[in-house]
Amino acid sequence: MDELTIVVPVKAAVPNITAVRLDPNTHNLVREGVPLMINPYDRNAVELALRIKDRFGGKVITISMAPPNGKDFLESTIGMGVDEGILITDRVFAGADTLATSHAIAKSIAKLYPNFSLIIMGEETTDSTTAHMPAQVASWLEIPFVYYATDAEPNIKDGTVKITRYLEDEGLLEEFIYNMPIIMSVYRNSNPPRDISLNRKIMAKVNGLVKVLTNKELGLNPDCVGLKGSPTIVAKIEDAKPLPRKKQIFQGDPKEGAKWLLENLVKEGVIR
Amino acid sequence: MSMERKIPIEERLNSNAWDVDERPHIRIKDPDQCRKCDSKPCLYLCPARCYTPGSNGTVLFSHEGCVECGTCRVVCPNDAIEWNYPRSGYGVQFRFG
Amino acid sequence: MSIKFDAIIVGAGPAGLTAAQRLASKGLKVLVVERGRKPGSKNVYGGRIYAHVLDKLYPEYVKEAPVERWVRKERISFLTEDSGTTIEFETNNVEHKSFTASLSDFTEWLGKKAEAAGAVIISESPVDSLVVKEGTVVGIRSGNDEVYGDVVISAEGINRLVLERSGLAPKLEPQMVGVGVKEVIKLGRKVINDRFNVDDDEGVAWAIAGFSTHYVPGGAFIYTNKDEITLGLVIYLGHGSKVDVPVYDMVEEFRLHPFINRLIKDGQLLEYSGHLTPIMGLNASPPSLYGNGYLVVGDAAGFLLHGGIIIRGVDFAIESGRVAADAIIKIHEEGGKYDGSSLSLYGNMLEESFVMKELRAFRNAHRALDEPRLYNDYAKFINAFLKRYFDVDGTPRKIFSTFKETKGNLTILDMMRDMTKVVTNL
Ligand SMILES: Cc1cc2nc3c(=O)[nH]c(=O)nc-3n(C[C@H](O)[C@H](O)[C@H](O)COP(=O)(O)OP(=O)(O)OC[C@H]3O[C@@H](n4cnc5c(N)ncnc54)[C@H](O)[C@@H]3O)c2cc1C
Ligand code: SF4
Ligand code: SF4
Repeated sequence: MDELTIVVPVKAAVPNITAVRLDPNTHNLVREGVPLMINPYDRNAVELALRIKDRFGGKVITISMAPPNGKDFLESTIGMGVDEGILITDRVFAGADTLATSHAIAKSIAKLYPNFSLIIMGEETTDSTTAHMPAQVASWLEIPFVYYATDAEPNIKDGTVKITRYLEDEGLLEEFIYNMPIIMSVYRNSNPPRDISLNRKIMAKVNGLVKVLTNKELGLNPDCVGLKGSPTIVAKIEDAKPLPRKKQIFQGDPKEGAKWLLENLVKEGVIR
Repeated sequence: MSMERKIPIEERLNSNAWDVDERPHIRIKDPDQCRKCDSKPCLYLCPARCYTPGSNGTVLFSHEGCVECGTCRVVCPNDAIEWNYPRSGYGVQFRFG
Repeated sequence: MSIKFDAIIVGAGPAGLTAAQRLASKGLKVLVVERGRKPGSKNVYGGRIYAHVLDKLYPEYVKEAPVERWVRKERISFLTEDSGTTIEFETNNVEHKSFTASLSDFTEWLGKKAEAAGAVIISESPVDSLVVKEGTVVGIRSGNDEVYGDVVISAEGINRLVLERSGLAPKLEPQMVGVGVKEVIKLGRKVINDRFNVDDDEGVAWAIAGFSTHYVPGGAFIYTNKDEITLGLVIYLGHGSKVDVPVYDMVEEFRLHPFINRLIKDGQLLEYSGHLTPIMGLNASPPSLYGNGYLVVGDAAGFLLHGGIIIRGVDFAIESGRVAADAIIKIHEEGGKYDGSSLSLYGNMLEESFVMKELRAFRNAHRALDEPRLYNDYAKFINAFLKRYFDVDGTPRKIFSTFKETKGNLTILDMMRDMTKVVTNL
């Protein structure tokens, strides 16, 4: 391996607004009038990829399966420092669940960047929170997967990578050494994203650094993508009714307040 | 959300699309000025209740609900506020405007 | 990396995007730099666009632009806690006069027009300051990046930090601006048609004075979109100290006023926003509208008309963007030397356009409108007068004695003085 190739799949997510509704018949999100944005946790993945590039060189690519306006947020990642963006967009990809999406992403990466060293993804998406994608991409590509990564130090000479991960619940910091290629998802509270540079974004636009590909170029099996490739059935969906608030207010000394809060949370069974 | 009732401002702000930066874009650079400021116009004129009364005449600021109007920077009589736009497109995302 | 642009525009609002569209369509290399995620995502207004400039500049708008409803009814109300007086004007010729629209949608549409003409629009990038060399503006700075252009247009809107930071405009003073607070409420098309008594594509523009702002100078508004109404108010910040409840509560009290509340029954809140607006017209302009290497358009230039019940900013923004572009195209063709004297062409062309003609005619409108009595005593008086007059209880009511009974704090002299002020300045 002479140069690192880091691929970061990113998703167009629906922002968290109360006005988003679920269609009672199709059980899908009503996307009408809702702006798409990059899944916030994917920015942390882009940031880790760029930090690796800053230290060890190489090339960072973002890839997304999205409607045509997904081009905008791929350009934003180039603004952060990514080298090129790939937007895969096609009618046949529409209606995909995580399985079909991961298939499309994994096979596209294998086709476009067969010599990739690392795939880095966000911990989960804020609009569906399945956290399926990284594991599924790993299994399509038959490579190992590490979650909650906070840092990675590749060794280009021997083709290994030292990955640090943080296990929040256990409060544990772990280090592993693996052979590349490998896929990792990034702990959401690590690697806060850098700002977008105006000059880089101008470059992305003027030099056309986001490529738009359809299935004509990619040639993926139409039975494995889009609605056809999606075994998921949404059987039932319910609006969770918000619990009425108790509206208790504590006034006084902050230390006493903390104790009061703790006692009440235990009493309500929120924490044990 | 039924509209024929009072809706706390926090709940109203919740109907917006947001992508809030962790780093505040506005900051009270001189809390001493707030202690001396009798009228405290920021408390009345900020549409998003980003300024709330603190103890001993201070004012607490939180940037999360800021709709980026600029009112506080204009009405603060003591030039106590450092005001910038959020970077990289962060902040409120108006869908209607 | 160094791409140099023929023109750089700060701000993708109606003003900046119109300039961009026009410059790019004449083959100039144009860069628009916008702080929001996309054009429209940071813009806020009340609700209605006057169409006359679109007929000239974007004749295709009737088919393409995100028009919500054509304004058929104009209403003005004076509101007190428990009563209201409304004047309604209705017209049959609604096409091409004015329409309601979402400013985010409309701005996004202008963005697409500018891009189609060849302009490069870069979003998510707040401009921090202008790059000035030897007394001439040569580019812009955003974070660590600088970009250069032959001429820079400030179309950054009223909160003009870039001009302030470059010493080209003084700090905004409270008396120069008002703060607008607005709620967008979804009702559904049919409900709007029924409650406002309009057809599918026809709407209402409604200005409400008095209790809506707790009698503080400013005003409230309601506009009907297709499926939503927009409801809000503007408070003149020069009178900010008279505000007795926070503005976010004030807009809520307005919404909960019995006359308004029944119109929004079963509505759903979709958005809550706030924005500044210039209220002094040309009196709030920067000392100069152009200089070596730069010019100023739209709200940043103070081009907004507050005629009391009407508020016009978008058409002035679009027209001033158009004029700026035409001046630049002319100078570009003559060799592209953008100094203060060549750019005075912009000043001259503005004088020829409706921008300066109308703004000069209304130059002192704010003086009349800044009079607290207009929002307080008069609103109360009109309602008390009519209440007394219509309240038939067997005692004879002559107009003049009713007037004397109900005029409250107002003296006849005040009234005459205010009348003169309103008549001469509006
Ligand atoms: C409450 C309210 C009600 C109104 N009602 C009406 C109405 O009904 N009809 C009407 O015609 N007008 C109305 N107006 C006025 C109208 O909104 C403005 O006049 C119009 O939007 C001005 O256009 P502009 O392009 O000059 O500025 P703006 O629309 O303000 O656009 C400025 C753009 O510049 C961007 N920007 C600012 N600073 C920077 C920076 N440093 N770097 C990069 N980008 C930057 C902003 O994000 C924004 O996109 C209203 C205004 C308010 C506040
Ligand atoms: S107006 Fe300024 S000085 Fe006064 S309390 Fe607010 S921030 Fe502080
Ligand atoms: S900019 Fe506007 S919304 Fe933000 S803190 Fe200041 S007054 Fe409040």
